[in-house]
Amino acid sequence: MSQAPLFSSAGELANLVVTSNLIDVAWANIPEIQRGPAAIPCSVQPMVYLPTRNRTIVVFASSTNFTQYPLPEVGDLVQSSLFQFLCPKECPSVSINGAALVLFKSLESQLYGLKTKLSEREGQLIITGHSLGGSVAALFTLYLLDSMDKKRKCRPICITFGSPLIGDFDLQHSQWNSFFLHVVSNKDPVPGLFLPSSRSPPTSSHSQTSVYKPFGTYLLCSEHGCACFDDPDLILKILTVASSEVSGEVQVVDYGEILRNLKNSAICKERWQVGFADPFSDGIVMELKTIGIDPAKHNIDISGMEKAARSLTKKTKASEAKKLNDRKKTMAQLEWYKKKAEDEKKGYYDCFRNEDQTRHVKVQELMAELTTYWEDMVAEAERKPQKEGTSFRTGWLFAGTTYRRIVEPLDIADFYKDGGRDYINSKRSQHYKLLEQWYKEAPKPPTREDLDSKKKKVSVLLTEDSCFWAHVEEAILSCQSLTNANSTTPEQRESSWDNLVMFGEYVMKQIENCAVSPEIFLSGSSFMTWWGEYKAYIDNFRNFFSSRLVEYMKRGSYNQYG
Amino acid sequence: MGETVGKLIGLNDEVIIPTASLAMEAHNSPSKPFLMKKIKIRHDHLSVVVLAFRGSMLPNDWFGQPPFGERKFRSLTSLNDGGDAVINGSFFQRFNTVLDQSSLVKEVKKAIAKEKQVIFSGYSSAGPIAILATLYFLENPEPNQILPPRCLTFGSPLFGDRIFGHALRREGWSDYFTHFVMKYDIIPRIMLSPSSTEHEQILNYFKSKFDGKNINPALPSGFYLTVMGNASSVASYEACHLMGCRNPSLDIIKSFIELSPYRPSGTYVFCTGNGNLVVVKNPNAVLQILIHCAELGESDTAEVEKRSLDEHSAYLSELKECLGIQAVVSLNGGPATATWNDLGLSPKAMLCLQSAEEFENGRSRNQDQIRKNKGKIEVELGKMRKYKENSEIRRVGYYDSFKLQNEDDDFHANVSRLELAGIWDEIEEMLKEFEVPDDFERKKEFIDIGTEYRRLVEPLDIANFYRHSKDKETGAYMIISKARPDRYLFIQRWLEHHEKKPFGSLSESCFWGEVEQLCIDIKKRGYLQQIEERIQQVERNLIAWIGDRSLDDDVLLENSTFVKWWRHLPPQHKSESDRIEKLIGERESCWSINQIRTGIIWHCDRTVT
Repeated sequence: MSQAPLFSSAGELANLVVTSNLIDVAWANIPEIQRGPAAIPCSVQPMVYLPTRNRTIVVFASSTNFTQYPLPEVGDLVQSSLFQFLCPKECPSVSINGAALVLFKSLESQLYGLKTKLSEREGQLIITGHSLGGSVAALFTLYLLDSMDKKRKCRPICITFGSPLIGDFDLQHSQWNSFFLHVVSNKDPVPGLFLPSSRSPPTSSHSQTSVYKPFGTYLLCSEHGCACFDDPDLILKILTVASSEVSGEVQVVDYGEILRNLKNSAICKERWQVGFADPFSDGIVMELKTIGIDPAKHNIDISGMEKAARSLTKKTKASEAKKLNDRKKTMAQLEWYKKKAEDEKKGYYDCFRNEDQTRHVKVQELMAELTTYWEDMVAEAERKPQKEGTSFRTGWLFAGTTYRRIVEPLDIADFYKDGGRDYINSKRSQHYKLLEQWYKEAPKPPTREDLDSKKKKVSVLLTEDSCFWAHVEEAILSCQSLTNANSTTPEQRESSWDNLVMFGEYVMKQIENCAVSPEIFLSGSSFMTWWGEYKAYIDNFRNFFSSRLVEYMKRGSYNQYG
Repeated sequence: MGETVGKLIGLNDEVIIPTASLAMEAHNSPSKPFLMKKIKIRHDHLSVVVLAFRGSMLPNDWFGQPPFGERKFRSLTSLNDGGDAVINGSFFQRFNTVLDQSSLVKEVKKAIAKEKQVIFSGYSSAGPIAILATLYFLENPEPNQILPPRCLTFGSPLFGDRIFGHALRREGWSDYFTHFVMKYDIIPRIMLSPSSTEHEQILNYFKSKFDGKNINPALPSGFYLTVMGNASSVASYEACHLMGCRNPSLDIIKSFIELSPYRPSGTYVFCTGNGNLVVVKNPNAVLQILIHCAELGESDTAEVEKRSLDEHSAYLSELKECLGIQAVVSLNGGPATATWNDLGLSPKAMLCLQSAEEFENGRSRNQDQIRKNKGKIEVELGKMRKYKENSEIRRVGYYDSFKLQNEDDDFHANVSRLELAGIWDEIEEMLKEFEVPDDFERKKEFIDIGTEYRRLVEPLDIANFYRHSKDKETGAYMIISKARPDRYLFIQRWLEHHEKKPFGSLSESCFWGEVEQLCIDIKKRGYLQQIEERIQQVERNLIAWIGDRSLDDDVLLENSTFVKWWRHLPPQHKSESDRIEKLIGERESCWSINQIRTGIIWHCDRTVT
């Protein structure tokens, strides 16, 4: 089947923004403040407007004076712990433009109060600002997003006009990206100010400036029209081209005038003549030319963009649901494997560990499929800002926990079968660790199951600690080190004994909490093997030793478990 | 080329001019709510009766009532959770007045009885009245009606939202509505912009012009930019969807702006102004053309603004000219056709049209894909049927067997259940996003396979639900709660719509859910009066559904969850003991006879008293 043609909707999205009154509303109060007495040189003040009951507008205005000279010497990036929450776990730090950060910090206590007040408002929240005021508006929006919970009453959007780039962080994998709209004219030098090829005078740490990253959607405009893009690399390129072509004199760009012109030209026929060979490339060439970029001259890789757009299969709810459903099918198969093993009076752990592997090729395929899926899910959650990652994963954490409890024992079996030692510290995969950590952090339902009802259901429970079998394997190794007195030192034997005592306590706690599956007591299980060896050792060498587990096992109480 | 408008819209060409002229006449006739006229057609035995409605240019008759979700017409709703169609409240109110206070219904019935085809027509604000009248007789057809009623409007404002158009296309009625629109006429575009002072300006202008009191009223000005700017927002928003916009900001931006809910529906005939007519059926393409063909070109705003008012009164003369030369284009040849130039569309507009066409192609492709998947569904359903038979041989209903999950068969059934859930969830998501053709939910092939799936597999979902005591997390399985998967709810609605039954009435596949929930509720709360009523409802439903075979009789197996529960109920809470015992008895004897005869279970004929 031939591929369905792609389209570029950059022009249509821009047209929607320009013809709607959203952007006028965002701009409306800025000129007035900049002219008015409230304008304090070299600072930014937030002003709150409540035009209707369910709309709040916060304007970060700066004096015109300040707009004209946005302090190029503070184009440096400064590491900021205040915005540390922006970085996903895998990246160590976040740097923010120095000027914007200084302004933000000077307002911090005021903004804290504003944040609290805004969190009680319902409806639409528009946060806006011009030039460096826009930078502060964006920082404030991020600050606000981090403190909002998922069921927030008000929806924010941040609209900046001619603002310079803010920092080195990347929101491409975050939903937060969609809350930002940056309006930039190709006549405005400010947005490209901190870019390396910009004609602005070199700053003290010029090499550093190249790590600025755009985020959100850019509404790029020229006298011919406008287009919306959200690909950071493309935006960087366009900003660089635009700032290198801005005429020598720095002039104040009147965004009000630009918006009026764009509105008028929105219902005019545009002048570009294009062919219709390929709707995507024709469309995007037209859109780029509209905003004053010649793709051929500026070396913009259109076919690369098309490839990227095509590979970026839109994540639909349908496809996500289908994927999770497919994993459920795989899990059902593994659960059945587990049940069959129990029917044969063997635990699935030992079936998998001790029997001929050719029987288990299918199981290994299932494991591999699940592991790939969950590693991806965990990685995706890790790429988001911390707060957002948390809410993203609550949706599937339950399924992830079941996965961990069923599949990790099989990984452990593989590891010890091949003679491995110390699984938990030397081999355990990161995604298991995170899944476990998140499960522990996740809020539990208020009505916790009482132990009695849990006892009744224990036969269908999964062992809660997915590393249980690793502890068992270590205990077996400890037993062996005790019995093979010839090949071990007294110190080693001492520490082995300590381990075994600790293991006994651990197991007893699991049993009392009904946290282990009764399958561990099946006669052929590794746990029972361990018990046999352990009992023999105690009987021979430590006749007087006893512990709660030893008594429990000797009495045969486990027959009543489950 | 070569085709006439009449052929493309399925009417004789000769009716168009007389209909248009009656519509213009009726619009300004203050004494009567509608005019009627017989039209004789050469070489055709069938005669046609045209009814044209009176209009009104009072702003209150256009915008007095807010748009609202319609319930008077049962077809005007989406069968997935898209809700009811939103229509203009003011026009709806005017139609109701005509319906209640005039001889409309009587006259139409008379005409149909004489084997005449009825055409409802309306010019300008009478257009929506004609649409509603047509809809009324489509929903309530006369028994001896030969041809469906038709609707022709001229310069009509938009009347309904996306669901309205979707519902018309789903019912297969879309082709019965034809709307003629001049290239610059402002009225067909006016509803794409929210009500404002500009609207009043425009309507007041026409009002004084039509009243005849002032033949040349002062031209309003400045409205064109506002109305077309807002209309352009709507067109761009829809174009983003058609083009598969991947920018997540779109949804956020949309939530901050108010877009008109109105969208075109039916067939549009655009009069290009140079003697050509363009017939377009794709609703997304119609919307784009409405906006883009009226864009400002070389000429200045004031000129176009004046034209946008003048053209509203020019239908009759324009049509006389066009129909004389019979040059017609239909949008099936794709946007590259040179004749598109007649509409003066820009390259950007052409891209929009291309995306509208591709969107339609995509919907057909999705339907083809679902058709292909039907094979897979059949295979899984076959396995399920086999599973059900095998369980019955063991004298356990498959519901109870599945709940126990002890046999290999139960496991395989679970895999099939998940497989099927995946396929149907995907279909459900496509329906929610309107990614399949509009008439998908009315296609017999899909209703049939869906219903079979629902009746056979939903009991297993319920078994799984109560096996894992999920009611503690989400509440009861039944319809009101969110526990029941949407896929079953949708499929049930298809059938209810098909059989013209009220929504929620064919819930036989949830029978087990109510039984399980009653078990739990009785344990928790005892026999309250409300519970007693529910028990009796279950009993009545059982008898009715076993009777019409929508519920399988394996619920009546001696040791099924239902029979065990029902037999333990204290007699004073039951009301149909005799009949249900009889059904259980019949099921038993039936089973034994078949057991002796063939050794296997087979469906047997059973009379229900």
